[in-house]
Amino acid sequence: MDKRFLALLSEVFGLRECDIHPGLKKADVGTWDSLRQMDLVTTLEREYEVALDIPDILRMISVAGILEVLQEKGVVVGN
Amino acid sequence: MEIRGAVSLVTGGAQGLGLAIAGHLADKGSTVVVADVNADALARLPGGLEGVRMDVTIPEETKAVTADILERHGRLDILVNNAGMIFSEPFVNIMNPAAMMHDYGHFRDSLRVNLDSVFIVSSAAVEQMVRRRIKGVIVNISSISARGNEGQTAYSAAKAGVNAMTVAWSKELGRWGIRCNAVAPGFIDTDSTRGALSESIVKHVQSSTPLRRLGRPSEVAQAVAAIIENDFLNGVVFDVNGGLII
Repeated sequence: MDKRFLALLSEVFGLRECDIHPGLKKADVGTWDSLRQMDLVTTLEREYEVALDIPDILRMISVAGILEVLQEKGVVVGN
Repeated sequence: MEIRGAVSLVTGGAQGLGLAIAGHLADKGSTVVVADVNADALARLPGGLEGVRMDVTIPEETKAVTADILERHGRLDILVNNAGMIFSEPFVNIMNPAAMMHDYGHFRDSLRVNLDSVFIVSSAAVEQMVRRRIKGVIVNISSISARGNEGQTAYSAAKAGVNAMTVAWSKELGRWGIRCNAVAPGFIDTDSTRGALSESIVKHVQSSTPLRRLGRPSEVAQAVAAIIENDFLNGVVFDVNGGLII
């Protein structure tokens, strides 16, 4: 995960970048509620210029899930 | 937002204030769909406005109408929640000892027409806006009575609720680029106002208003358009009342 991706998630969920890893799930993060999920969607759409539909959004309930969806959209989130 | 070319839905737009708003938006180049429960008034709509019968208190009807607008016009940019009904009844009527207190059924009815309706129609419209990433605008027609007007417990409560929803939605929907504001008219010279208030009350209102007159429907319509056109207005309840404070 590159610096840009970590910074985005850090800003959306109010997490320290060092606490963000692929295994992190929505249920593990107290601030990851439905409102923050909307922030996540609009932030990713804006920053990576992708369109996320409802099935995509429903899959983005873990960092791994977010990475998977972005990868499918052609977004490379490198190391 | 540029009004020209936008697609608008104005509820309760077949007469009075709603018709003035609908006509003004159409004059500025918007495609305007007027939704109203009054079929006779819809039949008399002037050219340039598209009428559809809709009861704003029935979720299924509002969903069907918004879906139809999307189907026919490809988008829905502007929602003006104007439908409602002025309702006056004292909380205590000492002259009616058998039923002294404000009727609870009337209270619920007024909330359903003036508050629930805004929730119901906005739900249908915003779902379409979010799904299609339309950066739309909602303008709720509130009232000076939202501050609490004597003799209007239910109507005041409903309009205060509309103001609160306006602010809540401005915060929640802003991330999608959807703005939500309200216009709170004072006493406007419409059949609805004249029907709800006695002549003596109207005269009292006029003399209490710093501008010494009732407002014109066109002045409320201009305020609605100004809110739509200013892309940084969000969460505002815009008073159009001639300076009257109640």
